[in-house]
This record gives sequence, structure tokens and C-alpha cells, in this order.
Amino acid sequence: MKVRKSLQDLIVEMKNNEAFKDQIVHWHTIEEKEAKTSELPNDLHSNLKGALQVRGIGRLFTHQKSSYEAIRRGESVVAVTPTASGKTLCYNLPVIQTIIESLDSRALYIFPTKALAQDQKSELNELIQATELQINSYTYDGDTPANIREKVRKAGHVVITNPDMLHSAILPHHTKWVSLFENLKFVVIDELHIYRGVFGSHVANVIRRLKRICQFYGSNPIFICTSATIANPLELAEQLTETKMRLIDNNGAPSGRKHFLFYNPPIVNKPLNIRRSATLEVRNLARTLLKNKIQTIVFAKSRVRVEILLTYLKELVKYQLGPKAIRGYRGGYLPTERREIEKGLRNGDIYGVVSTNALELGVDIGQLQVCIMTGYPGSIASSWQQAGRAGRRHGESLVILVASSSPLDQYIIQHPDYFFSSSPETARINKDNLIILIDHLKCAAYELPFKKGDYFGETEIEELLEYLVEERVLFENGEKYYWMNDSFPAHNISLRSASQDNVVIIDHSDVSKARVIGEMDLFSSMTLLHEEAIYLHQGTQFQVEKLDWEEKKAFVREVAVDYFTDANLAVELKVLELDKQRENSIVEVAYGDVSVLAKATIFKKIKFETHENIGSGPIHLPEVELHTSSAWISLDKSATELPDERLDQGLIGISHAFKHIAPLFVMCDPQDIHVVPQVKAVHNEKPTLFFYDRYPGGIGLSEKIYEGMEVIINEAKAMITRCHCHQGCPSCIGTDPTGETAKNDCLKILNMFQYAVRKGRVS
Amino acid sequence: MSLKNKLNRLKPHLSNPEKSKESSRPLPLKTTNEIPFLSDWKENGVTPYFLGDDYCLVREVKYPLDHQHGRYQLGDFIDAVNAWNEANISHPLSSKGFLPEQLFFFDTETTGLGGGVGNTIFLLGHATVEDNHFVLRQHILPRPGSEIPLYTSFLEKVDYTTLVTYNGKAFDWPQVKTRHTLLKDHVPNLPLFGHFDLFHASRRIWKHKLERLKLSIVEKEILDIQRVDDVPGFLAPMIYFDFVETQKPEGMLGIMKHNEIDILSLISLYTHLTFQILRIDQNQTVKEAFEVGRWFSYLGEDSAAENTFTQLASGESMEAYKSRWQLSLQLKKKKDYEAASHVWLNLSNVADDEIAFDSSLELSKWYEHKKRNYEKALYYSQNAKILLEKRCDSKKDQMMDIEKRLERITRKYCNKNVKK
Repeated sequence: MKVRKSLQDLIVEMKNNEAFKDQIVHWHTIEEKEAKTSELPNDLHSNLKGALQVRGIGRLFTHQKSSYEAIRRGESVVAVTPTASGKTLCYNLPVIQTIIESLDSRALYIFPTKALAQDQKSELNELIQATELQINSYTYDGDTPANIREKVRKAGHVVITNPDMLHSAILPHHTKWVSLFENLKFVVIDELHIYRGVFGSHVANVIRRLKRICQFYGSNPIFICTSATIANPLELAEQLTETKMRLIDNNGAPSGRKHFLFYNPPIVNKPLNIRRSATLEVRNLARTLLKNKIQTIVFAKSRVRVEILLTYLKELVKYQLGPKAIRGYRGGYLPTERREIEKGLRNGDIYGVVSTNALELGVDIGQLQVCIMTGYPGSIASSWQQAGRAGRRHGESLVILVASSSPLDQYIIQHPDYFFSSSPETARINKDNLIILIDHLKCAAYELPFKKGDYFGETEIEELLEYLVEERVLFENGEKYYWMNDSFPAHNISLRSASQDNVVIIDHSDVSKARVIGEMDLFSSMTLLHEEAIYLHQGTQFQVEKLDWEEKKAFVREVAVDYFTDANLAVELKVLELDKQRENSIVEVAYGDVSVLAKATIFKKIKFETHENIGSGPIHLPEVELHTSSAWISLDKSATELPDERLDQGLIGISHAFKHIAPLFVMCDPQDIHVVPQVKAVHNEKPTLFFYDRYPGGIGLSEKIYEGMEVIINEAKAMITRCHCHQGCPSCIGTDPTGETAKNDCLKILNMFQYAVRKGRVS
Repeated sequence: MSLKNKLNRLKPHLSNPEKSKESSRPLPLKTTNEIPFLSDWKENGVTPYFLGDDYCLVREVKYPLDHQHGRYQLGDFIDAVNAWNEANISHPLSSKGFLPEQLFFFDTETTGLGGGVGNTIFLLGHATVEDNHFVLRQHILPRPGSEIPLYTSFLEKVDYTTLVTYNGKAFDWPQVKTRHTLLKDHVPNLPLFGHFDLFHASRRIWKHKLERLKLSIVEKEILDIQRVDDVPGFLAPMIYFDFVETQKPEGMLGIMKHNEIDILSLISLYTHLTFQILRIDQNQTVKEAFEVGRWFSYLGEDSAAENTFTQLASGESMEAYKSRWQLSLQLKKKKDYEAASHVWLNLSNVADDEIAFDSSLELSKWYEHKKRNYEKALYYSQNAKILLEKRCDSKKDQMMDIEKRLERITRKYCNKNVKK
């Protein structure tokens, strides 16, 4: 009898197993791909050629060669490459070659995280060592010991860092980096696709500051970006760096055969169209794989899901594999913990990982054979990134997307063509978001005074500088604006989180040894760290005993309970300013600034296995106010001919559908855009649906929604019409609306929108 | 839509470094060469220095050499330089080979803490001996942006070779270099500095009695300098910003006074440190003298160290034990084990357990490795063990080390006896 089954055996089994087969909506096989290569460049230094040959590289993949040639011609490039395609050679080769030719040359590498920077340093140093030449590459981050910092600043040919460090430690101290900035030839931006949304908008401004400082020291570096597949790599790279770019997309790397399965859990309640929970299905799938010691990564969409799955799986396999063989991996863990997990994966001590999208980034964890996604990750680009974790280099691999009942998941799983044929999402940034822009203007003014008539990148800033003078942050003297404040502005500005202050999570189970176990942004903490909430960390349950809102501290204590908590957020919304509007006698579509008041109201306790509600309680936290941009659509009430109560329920139902459709068509993270229904909006007293950007000041999503409102209405209507349920279900209008007519009322209102919008090309 | 409205609405989201400033303050004066409050400035010895259509302010004040500042007259500094020139000791604070006129006491005031580029120096103060006087000059930045006249006036006034500061190595001078980098095309090059940093010297000598070693504390506790109505240094940025807006000299004059006292204290402190190191100060405490000796020994100035320790070695005080111990180490360094062993023998049963332990251990090593007298080696190891057990700060690895030693010596002792 065979004890362990191989992945191949399991794939065959899945194809033939009746029960399993029925749930596979789509089985997509991506055949293996041959390598396309080209000769090593002629001008490559012989030592560098030798170093490549030592590593078994006699020829370059086509994309590596094209990058090399373009960069050596002095062009800035963006190379689009899937995981494990040898993208690092795209920049390492031309950079090292240039340094060999002129030892004064300097390069700055920017990776989104410290972990990636460490990874890349080892790889780069191996290559350099093999060349037997005196080239120094160093990482410069929070962990760099003080005694070698001086050396890094003066003698580092390649300095490897992250945007946060560039923002808060390098640029504000540029006078200590004269030899870097005077001789900077290359700026490498790896994982370009990460720089979207708020983070990307911040980083674009950091790069404006970097370029300003380079100009001061007389250098004009070229930019080399690498990106995973997104719809607009060239546009993003050009927006982020404000530099003309060449797109390199002739990927020549080989890849192994990959099976991509769309798995829809069975329906357990026909009239309500309720399917079995994706989490429970994933648990079963992962158990089968892990029992056969097949290295598997499971992605879940939220931190809570990660911890729930981790609890399940650890319990299931603790006798076969031991408690340390399966680990969690997500943003809230401390760095040391994460490093340890990454290492365990690489050397095979760890068989299974349950992760949020933190592992989407290119941290090298070696080859995993299987990737399971608990629910659609929210974007096509993310899905491919996560799928790339399985079978990165050679051999057969398996990817399973397990759909949840959410409308978006059901839409995707029933339209595999949409998923496999449409282009991935557009990465969008808004460099000129006022809050972000002002923050970086301060930092920039701290670094070098502005002159009258100066632009910041491509943006005119005269009015903003005047504002900062009035705020007594800058001082105008002659033709220049000087910093006049005792603060260090970069310290007050975090590139990563929307609200600048995070809540620190403190475990005081042992009062004498209270320790910090993680942190969380303020907005999330309202619903995840309220008092009595169950917070999960590495599968351990903690109950929040006290949330000190003033001091931004949550005190937790270890507990063992059989439920998790889920909180509600009540939202009040006011229109502050109207920027754009189209209307006719029935509908009004508009875009402008709004104020959002959010307040956590109650939480529910939900039992693990059955997911039933076993209790609830109030949350006492102050309101949090957000000023942002918003798009909305209002309807003339009389036109609907619906009584108030039904109108209200209808709007709630539509908002559920909108919430899932909007991110798909604006192409953003589902958390970045929120939808709120109001039966009587404060500003026009009409039934209204609002979409708003989650980040203060907006990052351009609402504006896109305003422009594409028709598409969103059509798709929402189609989604609800197609749904098999009778009176509404989680896959269309959600379960919040009450009343038998809700589904019909939703359609009625959407019809009205559609008709009105079509009728009068609203203007 | 008005940008201003939008900005005001977003204000709660903006990370404004200043929390709440009353907005009723007048706007800064626009640039003018009509210098505000010029007569007030002149009354206080401050004159404008013009460069192009910009200016800075410069204050000059002379002090006679017999001016008393704390324990010393300023002129005692000249004796200090002479003393170094006569001494035959190489030391980081030594001004041997220099004239008193070449030393340059220097301190700055800045708009913020820490070392970022935007932290602006608004006051550069320095003092040096000229024609039998101390001349103190202060260069004041009248507004952010007028740094070209500030640094030009500063760099042309000073003719110096050696800089005396308090923590200037880590702070003031790097900051001058930073701001200078921003102006490098407009002002003369920065000269290379030698550097006496009195902060490090003070830390060496008074760490044992002062918890914090800020200049304000050292001058009060060590030099008996009393400040009257002093403006605390941490208020300097706020006072300066206020001055930038109102241009009223009053607040700035307070900061300038503070800076002036700082610089005068540097002079007295240099004198005092010199008298400590060269053992000229009659009132030097035994502890201070001991720290001076340790510094010599750290610097490899063995004969100076030996002299110092020899003077402190007699008697039964703590410092005498420590000095004898240090002397024994000097002897060991010179491989004069015989002489060293006499000292250790003496120290192996003094009242201080730590020193007795160290000495017993040395004796044990000496008898084991050099004399091969295992009986005595055993005796002193055991003695060391007993002493270690008595000490409450004893470390595990020290204990393990001594156990191993005892075992080894016992083995050797037995072997030797068997052979016999």
C-alpha cells in the first residue's frame, strides 16, 4: 500500500472523483513553456561573463538581453516578468557592468520591504563575489548597525533600501550621502506593481524628492523598474518616476505545467442559494494535501480568516506533522517571526503556510507545489501573483481557487473566460492627493528650499507653498521658501497606513512580562480591536481587555474560546462640495468631496464550525471622521413608486451588489472603496447611493466610478438577474435586506437608474 | 473649487508638526534692507554685516583676561596652554605646539534637534584670544535663507587651527558641514579642523559623580558657574521662530547670552580639564586623579599612568587599592612578573573582594604557568573561589572558569607528586 501520494496521483484522483468533479466549474491547464534565449552581450566584462558561467548561465533570456541593451543605451526601462523568470539579472547585469567600467558609479535599489532587500543583497553579493571584483553592495535599513552606516554612505556602490528608509533616513540627511547622490547612475525599483493606491502615491512623491536632490548634486539617474503583470506597467512606471520609459515585455523564461482549478462549494440551501463556506472547503482540500506532505500555501483574504484556517489546520495535522509544520504569515507579525517562517519554508521544515497577501511579494520561499485561494483575492493581478507561488520554476503544479458566496466570487467563478482572457487590473496612483502632496512638500522643503516658480515633479505648487507660509511651516525670503520649524517632518509621515497612527497590540497575559505582539491601523482597529473582540495571532486567541483609544494601545489576554467576533460599522455621510454633476429629471450622478463619520456599533460572536451567531454586544468607541472624495447617484423619489421601507431595503441590496462590482470595474482593492446607501441624503433629500475612497482626500477611484456609473449599474443588474436565488442571497444583494420583495425592488430601482441614464444621456 | 477651502477642510488629516498655534500672529515682515530695530541691536553691540543685498548680524564683545568665570579667570587658559607645551605627554586634549591664540571655542544654536538637513543653525558663536583679550563673536541669522552672509562673515572672521567644543564632534560640526553643503557654490570652502571635544573628556573624568554630563550640569557642579536668568536651551527654536516673525531683538538677546555663557564655560572647562590631566589642580580628588591615570593607561601613556598611580598607591583607601592594581597591570605589561606578584600578594587579602579576587587569580596564574608551583597555585585559586562565592555579582561563567582551573591545577599537582 502506498502511504504517501504524489501531486500527480492527487490530480488524477481529483479528475476522477465524482464528488469533487462536480464542484470544479473550470479546469484550466497552462502548458509548459520553452525558454527563449539570446547570446550574452558582447561588451560584458570577462569577469562578469565568467561569474555567469559559474552559475550555469551561458545565455540570457530574451527579456534580460533587451533590458541590458536598452539600459546600456541610457534608456529608463520597465520590465514585466512573472515570478521566477530571472528578473534580477535585468538590472544587476547592466549595473555591475557600468560600475566595473567606472568605479565612481553608484546605484540605489529600492525594494518594498526589508525582507526583499535582504534577499536581493545575498543574490547580488553572490554574483559580485563570483566576478572577483571589489564592488560593495550594502543594505541600508533600520537594522543596519550604526558602525557600518558611515561606510555604506561613503563607499557603497550599490545601496539597497526600502521606500520608508529613503523617505525618513536617507533623503532628509542627503548631505551625508554626497558621494551617492553626485554619482547616482541607476535607481532600481523592484516590484513596481506594489506601488499603487495610497502607498504608490506616497512613493511617487518620495521619488520626486529623490530626483530633486539628484538635480542639486548634478546627477540624473536612469530608472529601472520591474513589475509583475498588471494592465498598465508602462503608465505606472512613468507616473511613479515622471520619466520616459521603455517597456520590456518579451519574457523568455520557461515555466512548468500548471493546473488552475475553479472550485465552487456545493449549495447547501437551495432557496437562499447558500453554499458551503469556502473556509471549510479549503480546510478539507488543504488537509488532503498536507497529509501527503505536499508543500501547500493557502491564501486567505483577511487576517481573521488566516488565523481561523490556521487553527483548523494545526489541529488536523498536529499528530502527523507536528505543531510547527504549519504556520501563519501576515502583516501584523513582527519581523523576526516572519524571517523565521520564510526560512522554514525555504529549507522544508514547514509544509504549509496560511497567508494574507503579504506573501504576494517576491520574497523567495522556494518552490511550493500547491496554492489554494480562499475566495477570489479581489483582483486578477493578485490572483496571478498568488498562483505564481506554486511551481515557480519547473514541474507540475496546482492552483485551486475556492469561491465564497460573495457576488464578486460568484461572478468570477461563473465567468472563467473573463478571468483568463481579460487584462489584469490597472494600478492607479494619485500623486497630487492634497494630503499626501502637502506632507511631501514639507519634507522636500526641509531637504532643500524651494524657489519661486518651482514645480514639484510636474505639479505646480505656488499656492501650496503660500499655504505653508501662512501655516508658519515655511518662511519666504527673497525668491525662496525656507523650512522654519523645529520638527523633522518625515517622522510624522508614514508611507504605508492611511491614518498615521497605528494601534499597538500588547499581550499582558503575564502582567510582569507584557509584550508587544503586533500593530494595526486605526480604522481597522475599530472593528478588530474593540473591547471583548477576539484577536487571533499565530493561531492563538486573544481577547481584547482594554482599548486605550487616546494612547493607541490595545491590551489583550490569551484565551481559549470556540468563537470569533465580527463588528458592524455605522456610517454617516455629508456632501461638502460638488465638483462634477450630470442630471436629468429622474437621476443625478455627481462627484465631489464628502465627510464620512464612521462609528463601530455592535459586534457579534460567531461560532467556529457552524458559523452561527451566539451573542453580541455594544462597542463604545468615538466616531472617526474622514474627508474624502465620493461619487454618488440619486433618484427622484416619486419616480420609484415604492414605499419608504421597501425603497430603503432596495438601496441596501443594491449597495451590496455595488460594493462587489465597483472594485472589479475600477480595478482596485475591494477595501479601498466603500458604498453607503441613504434613503434621504442630507444634501438633496433624495434616495442616494454613495461610493467613497477609503483614504483621506481620495486617490482617484471615485472619479473613475463617476465616469463609469452606467457600466456599474448595468453589471449590477445583470448580476442580480442571473442569480438563481429567490429572494436575495449573499451572492447578489446580500442577506441584510428584509422582506420578500427586496430582490425585485433592487431590480426595479436599478431599472430606473438604467432607463434614466440611457434616456437622457444625462448632462 | 478653491484649493484653500479644501486644504482647510483636510486640516485634521494633515500631519501638522505644530499642534496648535494661535493664528492671530502677524505675518513675517517682507524682506527689506531697512534693518528692523537697528538701534536696539547697536545698543547691544550688534552690527549688520552686508553681502550683496542680504545681511546677517554680528556681535562682538571683549573680555579682559582677568575676567572671573566660575573657578577660573579666563586668562588661566593661557597657563593651561603653556603647561601642555612644557609637558611631555601626548594626549587628545594637548595643545602642545599651539599658541593660545590658535584655539577656538565654538558653539551653535539650531532650530531643531537631531541632525537632519533642515535643522538650521541660526547662531554661530566663537571665542579666541586676541591682543591680551578674549574676543567673543556671534553671527546671527536674521531670517531663514540669509545663510550666505552668515557663513561668509563667519568663515572670514575666524582664523583658527583647532576647535574646542562640547559634543561638537557628533553634533555642531557635522551640522555646519551639512548647511555648508547646501551653500557650497556661494561661500568659501570649509577648512579642515582639528578637534578637542570636552564632552568626551568630561565623561571620562566625572562619570563617577555626575549622572548626566550636559554642559550646564558640569559647569555648575564642577566649575561653580552660576547662571542668572538663563534661557533654557530647549526653548531656543521657539524663541528664534518668534524673533523671525517679530524681528524684536529681546528674545534673541537672551539666547545670545546663553550661548555666550556656554562658550565662556568651555574656556574655563578646558583650563580645568588641563589642570586635572596634568595634575596641576591642588584640589583634585583622588577619584579624579585615578580616572586621569586610567585615561593615560588607555592611551598607552604608560609612564604618565604609572606616575599617577604611584602617587595614589599608598594607604588603605579604595583608590589606593585600585591604583596598586593598575600599577600591577603596568608591571605585567612590562613582563616584570616578580614585581607584579608582590603587589598581587599585598592585594590578595585587602578589604575589597573584587580586587582581592582579581589578584588571587593573577597569583594563581603566575604560580601555575611561570613558577610551576602547583601547591601555591591551588591555594590562590581556592582563595579566589571563596572570594567569588562571597560576591553577590558573581557570574556563572566566572565560577565555571575557576572550577576548571582548580581541576586542572589539581591534576598537574598530582602528576608532579606521582613522578616524584
